Amino acid sequence: MTVVKSILGKVTGIAFAILVIASINFALVHSAPGDPALVIAGQSGATDAQFIEQIRRDYGLDQPWYVQYASYLKKVVTLDLGYSIRQRADVSALILERLGPTLLLTISAFLLSLIGGVFFGALAGLRQGSWKDLAISLVALILYATPVFWLGLMLVLVFSINLEWFPAFGYANIRAASFSTWHYALDVAHHLVLPALTLAAIYMAVYTRLMRASLIEVAHEDHVKTARAKGLTEGRILRGHMLRNAAGPVITFAGLQAGALIGGAVVVETVFSWPGLGRLTFDSVTARDYPVLLGLFLVMSILVIAINLLTDLIHRLVDPRIGAR
Amino acid sequence: MKRRDFNTLLLSGLAAGASGVPNLWHDGMAYAQTEGGGLTALLTPEPPMLVLPLNQQQPTIVAGSKIYEGLLNFDFDLNPIPQLAESWEISDDGLTYTFHLQQAARWHDGTPFTADDVVFSCQVMLMELHPRARGNFERCESITALDAHTVQFVLKEPFAPFLKAFEAGSAPISPKHIYEGTDYANNPANDHPIGTGPFMFKEWVRGSHIHLVANPDYYVDGQPGLTEIFFRIVPDAASRSVALESGEAQLSSWNDVEMFDVDRLASLPHLAKTSQGYEFFSPLLWYEPNLRREPFNDLRFRKAMMHLLDKSFIVERIMFNQAKAATGPLCSTTPFYEGDVPDYAKDAEAAAALLDDMGLAPDADGIRARISFLVVPAGEMWTRLAEYFRQAMAAGGIEVTLVSTDMAGWGQAVSNWDFDMTNNLLYQNADPALGVARSYISSNIRQGVLFTNTEGYENPEVDRLFAEAAVALDPAERQRLYSEVQKILVAELPVLWVAEQQYPTLYDNRLTDVIVTGTGVNGNFATARYA
Amino acid sequence: MSQFLKTFLRRPAGAVGLTLLVLVAAMAIFAPLIYPASPWEMSGIPFSRPGENGMLMGADTLGRDIAAGVVHGARVSIVIGIASTLTALLIGVTLGCIAGYAGGMVDGAIVRFTEIFQTIPNFVLAILLVAILTPSIGTIILAIGLVSWPPLARLTRAQVRSVSTREFVQAARCQGQSTLSVVVRHVLPNAVSPIIVLGAMTVAAAILIEAALSFMGLGDPNFMSWGYMIGAGRTVIRQAWWMSVFPGLAILTTVIAINLVGEALNDALNPRISRA
Repeated sequence: MTVVKSILGKVTGIAFAILVIASINFALVHSAPGDPALVIAGQSGATDAQFIEQIRRDYGLDQPWYVQYASYLKKVVTLDLGYSIRQRADVSALILERLGPTLLLTISAFLLSLIGGVFFGALAGLRQGSWKDLAISLVALILYATPVFWLGLMLVLVFSINLEWFPAFGYANIRAASFSTWHYALDVAHHLVLPALTLAAIYMAVYTRLMRASLIEVAHEDHVKTARAKGLTEGRILRGHMLRNAAGPVITFAGLQAGALIGGAVVVETVFSWPGLGRLTFDSVTARDYPVLLGLFLVMSILVIAINLLTDLIHRLVDPRIGAR
Repeated sequence: MKRRDFNTLLLSGLAAGASGVPNLWHDGMAYAQTEGGGLTALLTPEPPMLVLPLNQQQPTIVAGSKIYEGLLNFDFDLNPIPQLAESWEISDDGLTYTFHLQQAARWHDGTPFTADDVVFSCQVMLMELHPRARGNFERCESITALDAHTVQFVLKEPFAPFLKAFEAGSAPISPKHIYEGTDYANNPANDHPIGTGPFMFKEWVRGSHIHLVANPDYYVDGQPGLTEIFFRIVPDAASRSVALESGEAQLSSWNDVEMFDVDRLASLPHLAKTSQGYEFFSPLLWYEPNLRREPFNDLRFRKAMMHLLDKSFIVERIMFNQAKAATGPLCSTTPFYEGDVPDYAKDAEAAAALLDDMGLAPDADGIRARISFLVVPAGEMWTRLAEYFRQAMAAGGIEVTLVSTDMAGWGQAVSNWDFDMTNNLLYQNADPALGVARSYISSNIRQGVLFTNTEGYENPEVDRLFAEAAVALDPAERQRLYSEVQKILVAELPVLWVAEQQYPTLYDNRLTDVIVTGTGVNGNFATARYA
Repeated sequence: MSQFLKTFLRRPAGAVGLTLLVLVAAMAIFAPLIYPASPWEMSGIPFSRPGENGMLMGADTLGRDIAAGVVHGARVSIVIGIASTLTALLIGVTLGCIAGYAGGMVDGAIVRFTEIFQTIPNFVLAILLVAILTPSIGTIILAIGLVSWPPLARLTRAQVRSVSTREFVQAARCQGQSTLSVVVRHVLPNAVSPIIVLGAMTVAAAILIEAALSFMGLGDPNFMSWGYMIGAGRTVIRQAWWMSVFPGLAILTTVIAINLVGEALNDALNPRISRA
């Protein structure tokens, strides 16, 4: 019963959040100074007032804001994200075809940063004060302070331009359509390395620091001391007691970072020409593509909520005590 | 202790992965090379659609012009050459234009191409969809199909540059059997465009590439010379350079390559460069003041600004020599260009004298006037132009504040005359009557509409000269009228012309006959082939 | 106080951070003395390599001195970092205090609101805000402030809640002091030290957000900033690494310095936690 209640609470919470986000987005985008009709006209090289009026009518841009707002909310509820004027395609279709690359990038980066962070953090935390600890802490400190786009550029400079190991941009080879599935996957993975590494590095630094601190804290806790007193081997103490307990807060924090991760993806996708939602966001802001922007914000926010739920799940798996609650 | 073992394993795993990577990369390279006669061209930005009659953005034309065609094309000197029209005649009074169409041309769905398609396109579809075509075909008294392959246009009054209206981007011919009586914008065929061109639409993976394949039934024997074209969409300029350099793409057009990078790429052994192929468009760049506002309404102020600008700096350092200093309202590649006009050399003293004369004395900070500048949000060159303008004006005591905006905000401000100064760049469209007059004649001061006389210049004499030159049939007479109007304009400086942009086309030097006309990469590429 | 300073400086991180920070601050303050000419001045030879033509860090594509840009850019970064953090503090501390002290429904509402704000991808929101309000130094500060306050609000709320239960606060309440006075005179001063630390970290984060915005072309065109320089140099990175490397190092140094100082502050202000 309590489980049902908690799930129900979560669902209403999410629904409410989506409603608020939708409203914020609508208010924001519609306070923009640009006139979308003019952009469309300008971009098709039109110089015709009659044409502009026609566009305004066709897309409902001449309606008062509350009419547009009401119809927007109605559409959100029915999962209809509207039609892009500029791209002449359904917004949901546009977002859907960009969703895959973004998910691939953010999830790879997320897992990479989490695993890397826990690993390096543990390495440093267990040998506090050793050269390993120093080196890891120093690198983490530097990465943590590095602008993500700059890191991306530096990686391109070293690994694409100088070493020529990885492609500097793109998602897959142009002729990828003719590849076998396996070859295609390898090709995408090859393109994924640099962007995922760039996005992961910053968060890996954060998690490394967190994990290290967390582990040091856990090491002083009573149950670890007890375990040690019981004569358990260091390896078992580590696996059975310390790592799980220490990783918990890191995973929770990582979930909270999901929003930042998506934000980071915008920059990384720009640097690497990664055809995902981030790239689409930037193009849409520049073009004032209202329907796409509204849809994107909604989808990205839902994505963040989903990642939060996912980390919740991971946390439960790693730390069974939570599930019992 | 297992941890050490685990570390060793991890490291060896990483090493294995790393050593495997270059192999994979080289494997990928093999695919990047062109096999057979395929071309991978860059395309920026991704077009909204490929249906040329519905959309005339630059990338739409670059890709769409391989699918759709016009009646005519134009050589480097802007003389008409056949495309869908095999031959044509013009009556002596300049009113009747008769075109004889290609007999063997077929739409990509197999339907024969006929004069009815031309009449439908020019009289119905384009009139509704294509503002520039509407401007041209509104001049027609009648458009009639004389027989299946002959079509006749009768004008209400002579219009000297009328033939120029038949270029593919200006009047793309569309299939009547598909579009007649439908909602053009939502016609399902828009997802699979059907034209008469040498290449047919195959596939479009949004965000990645557009794939066209050779039209086996093309009406010119032995054409097209390429088997397929991939338009690869790469939003990032640096990445585009890499693509050309690595051979992953074999052709760039328009703004694909950042200007500073052009010479480096052109010097690579596998790439060639030409600046031919943009004669039809001849883009002219200028600084645009709002003549409705102080102090821009004073000719002395505009002259002072002109004297503070160094055109060669702009050409050399901002445009990296992919341009030529402009002398007036016409590009030197546009017909009826007049080079004998006053020159405003960089001269800070002359500028100071003009400003003194206006009574704009320097204040305590050494500043004579404060103006704002609306930065064109279209990329680096525009930002640099704005930054340069600010520094150049500062030297004359004019303080410039840069205002940034997005494309929508820029369009709104400029078309509603809510700006001090900005930049602008317009195509001349192969004739002063088509692409130049619009920026200076008073009848084209139209609030809310971009690319009109947005600076607000009014001069009855200029209006009269442009009007007469548009209908004059004798080229010598047109030259006389246009020379006169150019002299007046240069003396009055409605805008500050700085450069004729010369877009470079970079291509793999195994390719031949790619850029063969004055419309360059906007041509149909039927002749392009690998040597 | 001296105890505080001692703790602060005993950690090498604190000393190193402070030194770096002083260096950056000096750069910002004395920029007009070090490089009197405008960093926008296009007087050098374009693409000069570092050390060539009298330019320490080389020139950019228009012949502007990179070193002058780096020095002047410090001002923009620091001003935006601090101003937007103050904006975030204003919003976050106010909301956090109200929530933590009032409790109940108000608390619930504010917590929900904060959570939702944290859910929105904050950099994307910043892009949207700046794009809509048109980029200028004011709108950038506002946008960064508006996306940076939730962690401050949460921390303030937690602090206020724990401090509010202490005896001296109860005592002040019983004496009949007004709520505002209790919060400002008794609660906040005792809750402030972690907030200061988080504030310092927020400055670092704000500098990074500003750099990313400028990099994406959403900077104020009238001020030379590091992010702008990297954005402008990015396309030429193959020919001219120095155009993006030096401003990037400047950002890196500044952010590291602030983080180190923040950590050392944390150790000095909250000695209990730093024991480990």
